[in-house]
Amino acid sequence: MKNPNRFDRTRLRLDHLIARFFGANALVAIVVLALITLFLFREGAAFFPMNLENLRNYRLAGLEYVGMMRDEIEGHTALNRSLQDLRLRQMNALLAEKKSPEAIQAELAKFDAFTAEFDSAVDELRGVVSDLTDAVTAIKDKAKLREDALQQRQFLLNEGKRAEADAVPVTEIDFVKELEPVKAAFPLFESASLQFRGKIETLLLRPPTLPVKALQPRFEQFQKAARAYIAAFPETNRRLKEWNQFAPVPWIRSVTSFLFGTEWITNSFWQDWYGVLPLLTGSLLVSFIALLIAVPLGVCTAVYTSELAHPAEQRLIKPYIEFISAIPSVVLGFFGIAVLGETLRALTQWKALSWISFFPIAERLNAFTAGVLLALMALPTIFTLSEDAINSVPRAFKEASYALGATRLQTVFRILIPASLSGIISAVLLGFGRVIGETMVVLLCAGNRIAIPDFTQGLGVFFQPVHTMTGIVAQELGEVANGTIHYRALFMVGLLLFVLALGINWLAQLMVRRFKISIG
Amino acid sequence: MDKPRLVTPPKVDPNIAIEVDELDFFYGDFHALHAVDLRIPAHKVTAFIGPSGCGKSTLLRCFNRMNDLVPVARIGHGSIRVHGTDIHGPNVDPIELRKRVGMVFQKSNPFPKSIYENVVYGLRIQGRAKRDELDEVVERALRQAALWDEVKDRLHESGLGLSGGQQQRLCIARTIAVEPEIILMDEPCSALDPIATSKVEELIFELKKQYTIVIVTHNMQQAGRCSDLTAFFYLGKLIEIGATEKIFTNPREKQTEDYITGRFG
Ligand SMILES: Nc1ncnc2c1ncn2[C@@H]1O[C@H](COP(=O)(O)OP(=O)(O)O)[C@@H](O)[C@H]1O
Ligand SMILES: [Mg+2]
Repeated sequence: MKNPNRFDRTRLRLDHLIARFFGANALVAIVVLALITLFLFREGAAFFPMNLENLRNYRLAGLEYVGMMRDEIEGHTALNRSLQDLRLRQMNALLAEKKSPEAIQAELAKFDAFTAEFDSAVDELRGVVSDLTDAVTAIKDKAKLREDALQQRQFLLNEGKRAEADAVPVTEIDFVKELEPVKAAFPLFESASLQFRGKIETLLLRPPTLPVKALQPRFEQFQKAARAYIAAFPETNRRLKEWNQFAPVPWIRSVTSFLFGTEWITNSFWQDWYGVLPLLTGSLLVSFIALLIAVPLGVCTAVYTSELAHPAEQRLIKPYIEFISAIPSVVLGFFGIAVLGETLRALTQWKALSWISFFPIAERLNAFTAGVLLALMALPTIFTLSEDAINSVPRAFKEASYALGATRLQTVFRILIPASLSGIISAVLLGFGRVIGETMVVLLCAGNRIAIPDFTQGLGVFFQPVHTMTGIVAQELGEVANGTIHYRALFMVGLLLFVLALGINWLAQLMVRRFKISIG
Repeated sequence: MDKPRLVTPPKVDPNIAIEVDELDFFYGDFHALHAVDLRIPAHKVTAFIGPSGCGKSTLLRCFNRMNDLVPVARIGHGSIRVHGTDIHGPNVDPIELRKRVGMVFQKSNPFPKSIYENVVYGLRIQGRAKRDELDEVVERALRQAALWDEVKDRLHESGLGLSGGQQQRLCIARTIAVEPEIILMDEPCSALDPIATSKVEELIFELKKQYTIVIVTHNMQQAGRCSDLTAFFYLGKLIEIGATEKIFTNPREKQTEDYITGRFG
């Protein structure tokens, strides 16, 4: 009687231990997840006060003020670029007509004269703005020095070295006085701007006619843009006059300038911006391309293997696709650079495709190249999970459909796919999670240009180089100093990525649950 | 399936719905039906009885070629004719056959769609999508399946929300919506409670005016109540077939009697 009892007790204890063990594992997973979140928050959250300081200094040091002037110059530069582009197009058109270089030169003479005048019209204004730029960056540098000194002092204080801390020289800056000469130069700017405007106006009154008629609409577009450009000058002047060095910067701007900021510029002599939008759009664009390819491919293959394929084909297809996920992403990236990018470019240079406006593509590494490779990486996820979803549709539904005289395809499209739709959607979402978190491929193949892709180009947007959230963290985190605003900004990007991935996963699980209910 | 069929089809008798000649059926190496020879009359209810595993479902699924979907299934010998046409003949499309020979399954299996869409499924896959026609068919089929009054106000709710008995009647409605000539029922009441069962039985009684019905059942009383003919199977063989009354009161074979009196099975 005693023995079995003891036996029972040890067994109970063992069961208990095993349960404990698994419970502990789950606990560890939860704790690690919480720690990661906490860590990302701790490192990243300090970004916002720092960014606020950054934005306040931008105003205090007068960078914002001179920035408005610089924008005016920037507008001219952009117009200039479009003129250059127009010249290139004319040249190509004329060359295609088999004209000699001298003849082309002669035909383009009037246009070139116009371009040259347009280009030089800004010279005086640019001089003024350039001086002011130097002046405000000098103020900014002083402010930076002061901040560094303060930081060092704080550091020493923390170490308990009070005397040494007091010895660190901190020069106070009187921002009003510093900025006085800059503000005093406003009349100079105003008159230069007025002159510049006059020159452009007279230039626009006598535009040259283009030798290539087909390009006339483009030139008219340019003229329209130029008129709109100079029409905005009075507004700029008004804003400059109204500008207030001490206007408060609300703290929410430190958040919005991150989430909705359109520029990610670091280590600039001028002003650093930490706007995540170019990276976010880059990530989303690349993922979108990847899903555009992987979803139809993955779902169709899943339908095919589970419903239409021979058992022999099934045995071939499934391991083959699942094998793809075993390829190291750096190998895929290598393949992307060495083979896919080149092939794509060669393909777009093909004459038969020259009617497509954005062909040939300029960059061999672009969103599309990365997207294609990511599609390959998402394919196993989407395929396997979709296949599971389709296979878990009860046989009875299929049989009922066949018994009513449905063909295989009708059964697939009317019964299987609708019944497994939420499972398929969750497969797609998990595939999305997979690609948006992928780093190596995008770092190697997306082209790494930090700019919001130009969506006005239609489908051409697919072939622009982009940078991604994962790519930027991988690329820059190793190089930045610990604790700087840049470092923290990268953590914020990481945190955003983490939240995004979590959200996608959560949605996917929601879909799976719905799927179970609708089948059950 | 590949052996030449020696039986020359006899003259078509309009009163015979299904003729089975010397049918041998295999699942891989397993010989599931042995030389089954059988005539099923039109506009009558024929019940298949027998212990489980004796091949009732297998035979039933031969009539609409559902066994085509089972990879290992094959016919070794013999033939099946539905209204005189050999269903394995070169010109017979199983899809067309299944429109003429409908089937109701053991476990009710409405699609995860609305009641309305369940009923019109068979029409939609035939490309018939005129709203008026579909509405009409839905009402007719549901009335025939004695379900109309219970669901007429919630036609667009999910078919999965109905009770078990209602679901099974929905499956019957779905089958009769395409107006088959023959309805095969594989233990349609085995998962239903007595009240739902009696409703389905009443329904079968109504339906036989218009359709030929073959029903597999485990329930002796049920076979006795609703069938005109009863066929008893044992170990893949047809032991005997005859008028239900006769089978139940005065069977020819000892095995039949043993089974009916409950001595085995
Ligand atoms: N898909 C299948 N593959 C192999 N054997 C099967 C299959 N379906 C049924 N069988 C076998 O065929 C025999 C007859 O089955 P079935 O026709 O379902 O019997 P019943 O409906 O009379 O209970 C059984 O022994 C069963 O194990
Ligand atoms: Mg059965």
